Amino acid sequence: MTTKKVALLTTNFFHPTNERIIMGGAERYQVDLCRLLRELGFYVEVWQIGSGWTREFDGVRIRSIPVSRSEYHTFPDLSTAFYENSMAFDYAIYFILTLAYPIAREKSIAISHGIFWDWPGFDLMAGRLEERQEWLRRLGIALTGPQKLISVDTNTINFFNATLPGFYHKWEYIPNYVDTDLFHPPEEEKNSTDTIRVLFPRRLVPVRGINETMRAAEKLTARYPWIEFHFCGRGHDDNAERLMSQWIATQERCFYYWKPLEMMPEVYRQADIVIIPSRSTEGTSLAALEAMASGRPVIAGLAGGLSDIVLHGYNGYLIKPTVENLVAAIEDLARDKAKRQIMGQRAREVAMTFNRKIWAERWARVLETVFR
Amino acid sequence: MPKVTAMMIVRNEANRYLERCLKALTNYVDELVILDDASTDATPEICLSFPMVKLYCRDTPLFLKDEAQLRHELWHYTVATNPEWILALDADEFLETRAVRELPYLLKQDFFPAISFRLFDCWGREDYYRVDGLWNPWLRGFSIYLVKYQPWLDAAWPLQKFHCGRLPLAYRHLPHLESDLRIKHLGWANPADIRAKYERAVSQDPTFKYMPREHYESILWPADKIKLEKWQD
Repeated sequence: MTTKKVALLTTNFFHPTNERIIMGGAERYQVDLCRLLRELGFYVEVWQIGSGWTREFDGVRIRSIPVSRSEYHTFPDLSTAFYENSMAFDYAIYFILTLAYPIAREKSIAISHGIFWDWPGFDLMAGRLEERQEWLRRLGIALTGPQKLISVDTNTINFFNATLPGFYHKWEYIPNYVDTDLFHPPEEEKNSTDTIRVLFPRRLVPVRGINETMRAAEKLTARYPWIEFHFCGRGHDDNAERLMSQWIATQERCFYYWKPLEMMPEVYRQADIVIIPSRSTEGTSLAALEAMASGRPVIAGLAGGLSDIVLHGYNGYLIKPTVENLVAAIEDLARDKAKRQIMGQRAREVAMTFNRKIWAERWARVLETVFR
Repeated sequence: MPKVTAMMIVRNEANRYLERCLKALTNYVDELVILDDASTDATPEICLSFPMVKLYCRDTPLFLKDEAQLRHELWHYTVATNPEWILALDADEFLETRAVRELPYLLKQDFFPAISFRLFDCWGREDYYRVDGLWNPWLRGFSIYLVKYQPWLDAAWPLQKFHCGRLPLAYRHLPHLESDLRIKHLGWANPADIRAKYERAVSQDPTFKYMPREHYESILWPADKIKLEKWQD
């Protein structure tokens, strides 16, 4: 039997003009999915926007298509060029839902990584009624083409079933995943209760609650000499990282850095409380799952699929991430060691059901039904 | 642990930072290949006092005539040590101290064949770095200093004699991981060196091809025009 070929279409894995690549959640998902496809015996290539270059990453060829026009949050030129030029491939994966508009390969699957249109800026861009209608109309067409639609959370599926009904049978819920062997609690929990470390393992962007967290850190470090805040993540540009470094220099017991993926298990193990205070544009956050697998209670924002993984008061807290709510939730956990421990244990248990092996099996089943 | 070979070009470094630099490097590199560009001081002796150093000496200086040729020679000696990773640092550059603990993670990861860092130019002293104009380390971006050796990649340098870069061109196009480890550069830390360095820089680039004229002139700015930030460990 000859090897079947899969083309995966995305927008920006590499930045279209330079080599900069930041391994965020979506990029890691893509690398892991490509690895899974190769393990299952497929040949995989990634296609994205760019000037026509070809590169390689993690043993996968990445080709670029020299188009960039986007309208109504769709990329009609990219999708059409991909359709016309990928005939040598047997199957396709649309890594972003809207890439399946206006035309999709017959044997194809589209993925939603969570709702991104719940941030206020989206309303500014697509607030006018006719624009919103056009965007929705195009989404409807994007859902029609692929044979299966994968969602990382139930939030997205519920939204679509209520807004663009009729695709119920196409949706598959495959939540995000965590390597529970790699991310595990420390062999021995540290005994000293001297310092409580609060970890913010996110990029420095407003929708992730960075500004609320900075304010909460100012209040709590002033109130308790034994509390520390660790901000671990990249900014979207150099300026954000510079401003963060400058702010950190004015703060007591606040730290800013980022680490390669290989160091993150250790970073989680050294934290006592992990906060994921997203306001919007969230799926089933990899960072939240990794924190949970490391046996850490998670304080999560009420957004996207975080409610699929955090039960308020059981394995963490699910809050509207205002400064006041953050301060109260962090304070509550920081002062109660027993609560941190029990919630941390439960978090680990819950994370086991999001094990990466389960994710791979679910994906394999979907691939079996479509890629044949 | 993967084998790391560092490579370095030196010339008359005996009264500068060489010994400190080599001492720091013993903490995280396995071998260090040094090409001495015809030093006239005790530089070779200092190098040889470190057992991990492989020293190659030139009789006539080449750096100011054809840096690319010199770099190419150094690369040739370096890959002969059969390294898995190659670190390109100068004798006045220091990875911050926590690198000892964190470098192993960077070397063991297999997503990225290259690691880039931010360079901080300490100015007139060792505990403050410069942040005005093009000196701003937060805004001028990352450069690749550490690469996984890949014998199949072309080892050519660009066809220019100066500002030719430390690594072969092909290695500078690799997808790289931007590390938050900072590099402390002491090249400008001694006020006595600054004028001579300015003159050398301008004589190498009289038509301002590589950097704008204003940037070179800013080297000689009075203290009140220069903006500094404190280095926090």
